[in-house]
Amino acid sequence: MSVVAEHISEHVHRDDLGSRMGIWLFLFTELVLFGGMFLVYAVYRFTYQQEFHVAAKELNTLIGTLNTLILLTSSLTMVLAIVAIRKDNKFLSIFFQVITIFLAFGFMVNKYFEWMAKIHHGIYPGSETLLAKGNGEILFFGLYYVMTGLHGLHVLIGMVLIGVMTRFTMKGTVNSDKYIHLEAAGLYWHLVDIIWIFLFPLFYLIT
Amino acid sequence: MHDKEQSVSYLDYKGKHSGIFAWILSTDHKRIGLLYLMASLLFFAVGVTFGFLMRLELIAPGRTIMDAQTYNSLFTLHGIIMIFLFVIPGLPAVFGNFFLPILIGAKDVAFPRLNLLSWWLYVLGALLAVISVFLPGGPADTGWTFYIPYSIRSTTNVMPALIAAFILGFSSILTGLNFIVTIHRMRAPGMTFFKMPLFAWSLYATAWVQILATPIIGITLLLVTIERMFGVGLFDPALGGDPVLYQHLFWIYSHPAVYIMILPAMGVVTEIIPVFSHRTIFGYKFIAFSSCAIALFGSMVWAHHMFTVGMSETAQVIFSLLTFLVAIPSAIKVFNWVATLYKGSISTDAPLLYALGFIFLFSIGGFTGLIQGALSVNMHIHDTSFIVAHFHYVMFGGTGFGIFAAMHYWFPKMFGKMYNMKTAKVGFWTLFVGFNTLYFPMFVMGWLGMPRRYFDYLPEFQIYHFISTIGSWILIVGLIIMFTNFIKALRSKTSYTNINPWSGETLEWTVPNKPPLENFEVIPTITAGPYEYKDNDEILTKEDN
Amino acid sequence: MIYGSNHIDLVNDAFWFITGISALLLFVITFLMIYFVFKYNRKKGKKAVNIEGNTKLEILWTVIPVILVMAMFWYGWIGYRDLKNPPKDAMIVKVTAQMWKWTFEYDNGVKADSLYVPVNRAIQVNLHSLDVNHSFFIPAFRFKRDVLPNKNNSIWFLPANVGKFDIACAEYCGLSHSAMYSKVIVLPQQEFDNWLKTELVKKNASVTQSSAVNRK
Repeated sequence: MSVVAEHISEHVHRDDLGSRMGIWLFLFTELVLFGGMFLVYAVYRFTYQQEFHVAAKELNTLIGTLNTLILLTSSLTMVLAIVAIRKDNKFLSIFFQVITIFLAFGFMVNKYFEWMAKIHHGIYPGSETLLAKGNGEILFFGLYYVMTGLHGLHVLIGMVLIGVMTRFTMKGTVNSDKYIHLEAAGLYWHLVDIIWIFLFPLFYLIT
Repeated sequence: MHDKEQSVSYLDYKGKHSGIFAWILSTDHKRIGLLYLMASLLFFAVGVTFGFLMRLELIAPGRTIMDAQTYNSLFTLHGIIMIFLFVIPGLPAVFGNFFLPILIGAKDVAFPRLNLLSWWLYVLGALLAVISVFLPGGPADTGWTFYIPYSIRSTTNVMPALIAAFILGFSSILTGLNFIVTIHRMRAPGMTFFKMPLFAWSLYATAWVQILATPIIGITLLLVTIERMFGVGLFDPALGGDPVLYQHLFWIYSHPAVYIMILPAMGVVTEIIPVFSHRTIFGYKFIAFSSCAIALFGSMVWAHHMFTVGMSETAQVIFSLLTFLVAIPSAIKVFNWVATLYKGSISTDAPLLYALGFIFLFSIGGFTGLIQGALSVNMHIHDTSFIVAHFHYVMFGGTGFGIFAAMHYWFPKMFGKMYNMKTAKVGFWTLFVGFNTLYFPMFVMGWLGMPRRYFDYLPEFQIYHFISTIGSWILIVGLIIMFTNFIKALRSKTSYTNINPWSGETLEWTVPNKPPLENFEVIPTITAGPYEYKDNDEILTKEDN
Repeated sequence: MIYGSNHIDLVNDAFWFITGISALLLFVITFLMIYFVFKYNRKKGKKAVNIEGNTKLEILWTVIPVILVMAMFWYGWIGYRDLKNPPKDAMIVKVTAQMWKWTFEYDNGVKADSLYVPVNRAIQVNLHSLDVNHSFFIPAFRFKRDVLPNKNNSIWFLPANVGKFDIACAEYCGLSHSAMYSKVIVLPQQEFDNWLKTELVKKNASVTQSSAVNRK
């Protein structure tokens, strides 16, 4: 943190609106990043309609739905955490942040079991079972692993971020006057949520 | 006009850290700009050396100094280094970082720590690229385009190169993000968007392209990495993937990337021409909007790199049409620059020579771009050395000369030293002659059917290759003259105290040479546009004295 | 004139049309730059005039280039149109690319390393790659087309003169990319027929021979 100190000693530049703008721009880049993958999905879905249809049936819609509910709830608790800190209720804010992390953890556990079940059935990139299937199914599961994997990575990063914010809130670095960092983590978390909202129907619901 | 007693310069102030840490942990935009400058010039030297070796190999048909595998690795590395490590960061990260805050009257960029992070990502990416050369397996030999399926079949170290490019992309995104927020939020009081210097405008347009296009290459290269690691099949034709889809995704970024490279150089030229003509810029708004138009149209023409892959006829026609249209905003800029010279009071110092050199070479690059945009002609010259010549005219004759122009223009401000003007001019002419001797023959042989990325060639092309190689030697002599001139100036004891050597009107000429930590003692209030020259009489008398 | 036989002329025309206009514009730009630099040089001691712009001029030098580039687009397009749709009676040759050689296969199963074709007859080449991307490039005929592993591209041409012309690979494909040359050999119809006949006989002979070997 000494780097910060060097600068702070010279002048303190604080511009919450600027920071917010920066976060939104960053979220745009994340959207474009996933957008690239949605593009790949769209192209292959169009090319291999029948095989995508068959492959999608093999995914467990129940776990998918459960995870969707978990993530949506966690977005709510994240918002509540921010509202709480704005009302200067430190304890409540920390409580909701911890709940959010807990829900995110639950999401990852579900995801773990889902992946493991697939892998036990021999469906993973490069496996014999998968290579025996048609090209469209190989691509479907390839996309499934890559896209949910990258999304899972974002969930993990989000968990770490919110964890850091919880620490900041405890220390008082994040407080009712200066909660832009928490807000940033919240926005990021909603992005993770939104991407899932698109992944869920594309892989689980549309068969 | 001379230096008052000023606060300590950015080169000398003492922060929390000392020694090298005072630099590599500094969040000062000027120090970061200088770090980028040193790193990118280092890689430029490496890239030039690779280019020189390739030209030497091609002086005669058959094997001359290296084998085909080495040659293939060299053109791959030359491409990766020059594009990702020199040309892309060359203007935004170096001169944008250093001068954007000063030009708009700010103390720093909006997110100084993020700025430092960008530099560190840049270094990390660069190190990975360097490491890939020395790992067993040998440097990547795929070409900088990493075309699939070759890039998933090649046994060389493609992965480190891919990850390096991915990380460098993120560095570029963060710089762009920083600049957008800086321009929106940190302009000095009174500086409206239309009172901003046009270099800031060009950086603004560039920054949007950086943040909206770069993630696409990020995800694409990541997918190739995953493809190589796990064999997911997303692009692998053996598993149903589509290599042409890869090409689309690659060019969705990599064509706009060309505008990331050229727009800031256009911005520099737009700064230099009014200063050395000592009159206001012709058509300010047209130049500003043409930057945005280039950023917009430039994002919609990517498939003109792929006219030969067999796309639908509709796609061919649309992309060809848009390709022709994207030339218009560039043409508008060129016409406005030339018009700015009209009835000026022109002083032909080195920065102006480089700027005019830019216009000439960039125009050739642009016009030959039109030739390739024509569908039928493209079928013939695509992937020939005609293309190689074209993009070197744009990227080197354009952006490269833009970077050199910026170096000559801002050198006294950055270092408080002045180079020898005569040597600088000699350097320019040597570079200019060398450049054209090196690249012009490639147009000719490209039209005659010399494909690119060829280690060996048919005897009928030898004369052109020979001339081209001679040109590379002249070019390198020019580079040596230019850089020795700079180094001599840096090492000289006499410091240069004239804070406004070119009589510019933009804000950087109001702060001391080697600007202090926070640039301005008092943030200025802006009342006039950036190129409103009122001392037309003064400058003439000053010249006489 | 046979449909498509003027392809080379169309490409050349488009090329020289665009190059001509470009050279003219480049000359004007360069001339003006140099002229202004001398005419309005500071050494002459004249005062600069601040001209902020001229909207009429801006419109003029936007509209005229737009018209010019549209003309260029048109020229490029008409030279391409023909290339896209092969005539029905085109002779089909199957071209297979692999690292780093070309194989040409005719309807009757004859295979060759060089592309033998009769003069003045439309030839359609169906392109397929066994490994990575290649590109089928005949500089003398002014066209190329990528050869992809997952997609069958095709292109056609009409050789107007007898002779030998180079075929190059124009998409980077690894170590010996630059050695991936072959020839297109354009023969008079009669000679071509003879060649094809001889090759067929040779092929059948070798088939019988190899099956004879197998029987042993």
